[in-house]
Amino acid sequence: MSEQTIYIIIMAVATCAVTVGLRAFPFLLFGSGKKCPPVIDYIGKVLSPAAIAMLVIYCWCSTYRNSDFLSSGAGIPELAASLVTVGLHLYKRNPLLSIICGTAVYMILVQKIF
Amino acid sequence: MIKSKTLKAAFIASLPVLMGYLAMGIAAGILLAGKIDRPDISFWAFITSATTISGALQFAIVDWIAQQTPILDVILLTLFLNIRYAMYGLSLLERFRGIGFLKKSYLIWSLTDETYALEVECKVPAGGNPLNYCLAVAAFDHLYWITGVTLGALTGRLLPFDNKGIDFAMTALFLVVLTDQCRERKNRTPALIGAAAAVIGRIFFSVDNMLIPAMILMTVTFIILRRRLEKGICNE
Repeated sequence: MSEQTIYIIIMAVATCAVTVGLRAFPFLLFGSGKKCPPVIDYIGKVLSPAAIAMLVIYCWCSTYRNSDFLSSGAGIPELAASLVTVGLHLYKRNPLLSIICGTAVYMILVQKIF
Repeated sequence: MIKSKTLKAAFIASLPVLMGYLAMGIAAGILLAGKIDRPDISFWAFITSATTISGALQFAIVDWIAQQTPILDVILLTLFLNIRYAMYGLSLLERFRGIGFLKKSYLIWSLTDETYALEVECKVPAGGNPLNYCLAVAAFDHLYWITGVTLGALTGRLLPFDNKGIDFAMTALFLVVLTDQCRERKNRTPALIGAAAAVIGRIFFSVDNMLIPAMILMTVTFIILRRRLEKGICNE
């Protein structure tokens, strides 16, 4: 085995162990048997809308990771496509429809206009 | 056995992830095969995507392999890149309580951002088993990710169409889940706190470093506002 192959194997084991360890952390701490402390229960409940809202903001920001904000759309494609997604979802309540239409609007905007 | 109705609902719910993961996975696979010159690179694309399902990591490992970054650094970087996962389980503790070791291990192992969003929402059809729904969603997402990364490494740049912008499907998925959650009044203040924490994180840090400060900030805010927010939860 080459040096690089050995490196890839060790690296794969390390990244997997750390990532899965992080994912398992709350379950190892509070998962077995007894009820978890009320404060953890509370954090778990408020965390999901908060984390998902955070991921939305993060996705918006990620678009401009490698490009200049003003010259590559200045947030207009994201804003327009997000409004389409949410508006359609409030109106029709069909997740797939909202996501496909929002993504289509976004693709058209970034490919043809911006 | 998982009911076919549950399976179908899980598949439909996971379709946005299919679009997003294929696009992102292919990009990561192309990058890997482009930078690491070895004949068996597609095999390693498969192995790394199958064992560690993590978007940002899949991109990061390309440079790590190319430069043989010290393993201790790899461990620390992975820790920072993915530390948000250590919080996600808190929302799923009750749902995953008391289930078999293997199923639980798989659900934990496969918990990505997108799978988390779908599992928290858990739109299982009437009469279906929520746990089977979560398992199916996790397995579909896992499969999409492996397919994307491996395909990217295999085919390189031979893409049939211009897919620029298709990764917005992931943003749209989060938006849809968020919209559904905000139909319930008790979720609105937490969502606002999360968004505000992310904006503050972005103001003071780069895109790549914003998530950890944002999560610390929102957790601290939640603990400070616990009394008021819990009252809101109980009133529902």
